[in-house]
Amino acid sequence: MSEITLKSGSILLLGVNHTTAPIDVRERLAIPISRLADATRTLAHQPGIREALILSTCNRVELLTVSDAAESPLSPPLGMLRFLHDYLNLPAEEIKPHVYEFREREAIRHLFRVASSLDSMVVGEPQILGQVKESWNVAREVGAISSTLDPLLQRAFSVAKKVRTETQIGSSSVSIASVAAELARKIFGSLSGKTVLIVGAGKMSDLAARHLIQQGATTLLVSNRTEARAEKIADSLRTPAITTGVIPFNQLHEQSHRADIIITSTGAAALGQAQIFTAAQARALLHRRRNRPIFFIDIAVPRDVAPEINNLEGCFVYDIDDLQQVAAQNQAVRSREAEAAETIVTREVELYNDRLSQAPAIEAIKQLQLSAEAVRQQELARTAQRLATNPLTPEQQAAIEALTKSLTAKLLHSQLSALRTPDDPTK
Amino acid sequence: MSLLWLRVAVLLYGIAALAVLPAALYSRPRWRHVALPAALAGAFFHFVSITETLYAAHRALPVDTHETLSLLGLLLAAAFLILAAKYKTVSFGIFLLPVVVLLTLVPAFHPGHETIAYPFIRTGWLLLHIVLLLAAYAALFLSLIASLLYLIQERRLKQKRTPRRTWLPPLETTDQIALKALLFGLPCMTAGLLIGSVVALQTIGATFFADPKVLLSFAMWIAYVLMIFIRQHSGLRGRRAIYLSSFVFLVVLAVWSANLFSAVHRFRAP
Repeated sequence: MSEITLKSGSILLLGVNHTTAPIDVRERLAIPISRLADATRTLAHQPGIREALILSTCNRVELLTVSDAAESPLSPPLGMLRFLHDYLNLPAEEIKPHVYEFREREAIRHLFRVASSLDSMVVGEPQILGQVKESWNVAREVGAISSTLDPLLQRAFSVAKKVRTETQIGSSSVSIASVAAELARKIFGSLSGKTVLIVGAGKMSDLAARHLIQQGATTLLVSNRTEARAEKIADSLRTPAITTGVIPFNQLHEQSHRADIIITSTGAAALGQAQIFTAAQARALLHRRRNRPIFFIDIAVPRDVAPEINNLEGCFVYDIDDLQQVAAQNQAVRSREAEAAETIVTREVELYNDRLSQAPAIEAIKQLQLSAEAVRQQELARTAQRLATNPLTPEQQAAIEALTKSLTAKLLHSQLSALRTPDDPTK
Repeated sequence: MSLLWLRVAVLLYGIAALAVLPAALYSRPRWRHVALPAALAGAFFHFVSITETLYAAHRALPVDTHETLSLLGLLLAAAFLILAAKYKTVSFGIFLLPVVVLLTLVPAFHPGHETIAYPFIRTGWLLLHIVLLLAAYAALFLSLIASLLYLIQERRLKQKRTPRRTWLPPLETTDQIALKALLFGLPCMTAGLLIGSVVALQTIGATFFADPKVLLSFAMWIAYVLMIFIRQHSGLRGRRAIYLSSFVFLVVLAVWSANLFSAVHRFRAP
């Protein structure tokens, strides 16, 4: 297919992302959401730029524009470079090595890939679509996008939705904390009303607890050898929607039946102490819970939870290796699904290109038909005026109407056919 | 005409049973949009067929085995639709819908010709007796399937196999479904048996209690109550819950097959 050039302008995308620019460059380019409207407006007002949109996230900054006329693929995007220089106070030479540039079809493809989360650091992560939508909203509010970028962005959203529904790209978690939360959902369904107990203190257990709270867990208990430390953790995780509490470490086994999910990260065995939960203790725990399932997330190395507890009916034990293994499997699934998603994007780009390339012809056909109809109406009116003294009967009027319509259609036929098949060299 | 509707229902149930496989096992939501409307339309035509059959026969009761099986199929299809609406899962359809197809296939292509000659054939109480007991059977079957799904999901989680596509509902959901189905089935079974006993006492007399089917039915009720008590009291789940449900299900099958030896439930007039 030939490269398209829009009648309404030329699409150009300029940007940096996590693969092309180090964080210090991305930091200098990043535009906070509070300034996004102003930045978009400024970019749209650059000479030669008709429409503009800015996408700024922690992993990418991209400027998407439609210029007044088709630019040569070799000509530098002056308006965008001026924007970078004036608005962000960045010399073009400084960022040039990190910048990628896509034009026309490749710009459309890149936008579809970004919205579908195929260009993300974690492929399949869902946040990027929301961020693109946010940029689109801002650009619409400031009037920076219209006939070209608005439908293009809407198409990008439907492509992203298609990728989500037709592939499994976002269906599985790839971080340890989110894997733990996903497993908890497989056991308990909704985590609403569930109680999480953190035993020990650690960054990972804190992160896992936060994920579980995000998924709906409403009560958080903390138990630590140092009670003050436990209280500190409980305070840091307390919100109006979360009830927190501290279990004294010496009462852990008496009270742990209150928890549905237990996250352990003490590493007590490394200090020569016994494991925190043995099979006998787990049995007693299950008995107190009347066999309601319990999920142990053992992040400690050496392990805090005896692995044989997993053999007890109703007990599920996942240690750090298990969680990592699940995360790796999910990552592999995402990579496989990404291939299917790329195929969808390629197909959608082709379809969108086809639609764009047909747009001028459709417009020309419409204009031709309108002008022919205007001439026809004009001639009919003139004839009616001439025959004013001896007016036509309704049957005669209908016959003339049909005759003129047929004549117009036949006269236009060859021109319309030529417009409908523009690639035919004989026409 | 009623047979035609029943055959349409079988076809729709068949489509639903096939479509539910990719919808549940491969998480393909488009197939869900085929399975659910097909099952819903199947249930509608099934209902029309049963109503038309009874109306044409000037009676309110499904009297032969085929009609009863067909009614049980309709109840199971309704159970599938209720679960899909309430728990947003079509996984139960993998097991329920093929059974529904089988239960309706025979009446659709080999309709029964048995009749019953008792004077109470038009009584609404007997209809209630039949529908309530069938609902109890359907609930027990549903509970058995839920326990089975619980067991499969529990094993997967314990073996730390993380299937790419998770077609199984969460453990707690299947457990709730299993228990709620049993709790729904108990009053149905109790009321169904009581109504049947009262009607039979009035029409047949005390000999009714010597009937093998009646005796087995009361044994079934006791087993049902015991099962619920054990599940509720000890929080029985997983493998042992499956064993218990299977045992009660076997009792139900025995009750069903006791029709062959029953004087009360014999379909041909004595």
